[in-house]
Amino acid sequence: MRTRRVKNVAPMLDPGDPGWASVPVEQVSMMSTPLAMQPTPYIRNSWEGREYGRVEALEVASVHDGQQWALRASWRGVSPAGKDFPDALAIALPVRGKPLLALMGAADAPIHFLRWQANKSGAVSQIATGIGSSAPGPALACSAQARAKGDRWQVVISRPLGGGSDIAPLVAGRKTGIGFAVWMGGNDERGGIKAFSIDWAELALDA
Amino acid sequence: MSKRQVAMVMDLNKCIGCQTCTVACKTLWTRREGMEHMLWNTVNTQPGTGTPHGFESMGGGFRDGVAQRGQRPSVEDFGKAWNFNHEEVFFGGKGDVSLAADGGKHGKGPNWDEDQGGGEFPNSHYFYLPRICNHCTHPACLEACPRKAISKREDNGIVLIDEDRCKGYRFCQEACPYKKIYYNEVEEVSQKCIFCFPRIDEGVTTACSRQCPGRVRFVGYLDDPEGPIWKLVTKHKVALPLHAEYGTQPNVFYVPPLSPPKIDDEGNPTDEARIPTEYLVSLFGDGVHESLKTLERERERNKRGEKSELMDLLIARKWLDMFGPFQKHPREVARNRPIPQNQQKPRAQQVSAIRFYTKEEFKKGGRE
Ligand code: SF4
Ligand code: SF4
Repeated sequence: MRTRRVKNVAPMLDPGDPGWASVPVEQVSMMSTPLAMQPTPYIRNSWEGREYGRVEALEVASVHDGQQWALRASWRGVSPAGKDFPDALAIALPVRGKPLLALMGAADAPIHFLRWQANKSGAVSQIATGIGSSAPGPALACSAQARAKGDRWQVVISRPLGGGSDIAPLVAGRKTGIGFAVWMGGNDERGGIKAFSIDWAELALDA
Repeated sequence: MSKRQVAMVMDLNKCIGCQTCTVACKTLWTRREGMEHMLWNTVNTQPGTGTPHGFESMGGGFRDGVAQRGQRPSVEDFGKAWNFNHEEVFFGGKGDVSLAADGGKHGKGPNWDEDQGGGEFPNSHYFYLPRICNHCTHPACLEACPRKAISKREDNGIVLIDEDRCKGYRFCQEACPYKKIYYNEVEEVSQKCIFCFPRIDEGVTTACSRQCPGRVRFVGYLDDPEGPIWKLVTKHKVALPLHAEYGTQPNVFYVPPLSPPKIDDEGNPTDEARIPTEYLVSLFGDGVHESLKTLERERERNKRGEKSELMDLLIARKWLDMFGPFQKHPREVARNRPIPQNQQKPRAQQVSAIRFYTKEEFKKGGRE
């Protein structure tokens, strides 16, 4: 997966910005998180035989301008209004070491998440060091904008390039890993009940 | 497992359904925004649907030790806090407006079937069943949470939700078979009865027990042979858990209600109790038979002028004895001084005495 360099990311924070039309889209395949990995017996028992994590693929494109990085993800799965849980998207980036994405990181290898959810504005920064451990993450100027087009979400999540103690490094001319998770709120999906991208995809940022 | 367990016994023979306990709890703990529909303590008429309506068929708990899927009760299931048109009625200047809840489109309130009960005249019957979180020994809520946000205190077994860890996933709400967890839509966390732990920690019993005019509620440690709980639950075996079959080992116990005899077609009293024993068994298990027998036997002793430890206990001649080691007056331990008169907010034109505070206001205890 490649992040292209553009002149100015700012207008592209809008998922409907025409600038996105010229950025090549890549497919990321998704699968439901295995039931056996759900952390409590209640969750395993109560989701046995129920379908979840049905989003099969995300269409992803990303850009940076030397300062700011933005990623647009699009997928089918807009839940009807009035449900208990929101549709949501999270981007995962490794902070250091080689954490297992499926295990949501480890004590010495945290994962930095940027999460958008349909009932809130903006994105939140979270840090995780294992399943069920996610906590407020490092402060950074992240943002998210979304629009529902028919049954598809188009969401742009953005943050500055660079790094920091718990901020996952995103550096022009360098490579890192990226992972994704999507929740269909209308299907009661929350926590570990979600679709995820199985493993890290390589993300190469143009110099 | 916790080292000790605080527990409560409620004597259903004495509950008059006055809801003082409900209000004591409401005014003390659930006055923040998003808590409008919360009644951590509820009192419902049995037979009846309870709160949330039909909670007994909402699943959760354990069967043969296996966690069972459950439903999340909605605000409507609990019984929403209605908005009334007081302003319009009292100050609107129109004579023909009458009081209406939620513009006349209200659903069922939390105590919707109050005093309906069961049976046909002359055998109609009912009794009141107060409920709080049972602070279970095998808490389904705690075991369901993927965030480890729920813990059971080591020193007294009180089950608490850490609102900083809670993400509002509400698996606990599904898993609790007693449906005693509420969801705060404003704060986006789950909330429930805390067994007044800040009071318990200071040797003051819970607000619901201390305020109860019926002397219904005993509080103490489950294993304290000097305290009321051990005597009622273990020694005399008259206090029984509600729906033990849910598998969570609740720590709230009930003394089942005795009732006058059932009347037959000729109008004569029979040997059967008016409140069908089978119904009580469906709530409190087989122990009901022994419990009722013991209660009758001890009552007879008392009538004959003989001494009955059990009756003395249940009558609660000395009110404070009901609370085991938690007999202090809240005033004795109050850390906050009362709010000085000149710092109290002017009483605005209020039509409703209860007002919901923001989290910040609540923390300041009404001070400016
Ligand atoms: S009654 Fe429900 S909420 Fe309370 S401890 Fe038991 S399972 Fe948890
Ligand atoms: S305050 Fe006491 S008597 Fe009144 S409803 Fe509650 S438990 Fe029953």
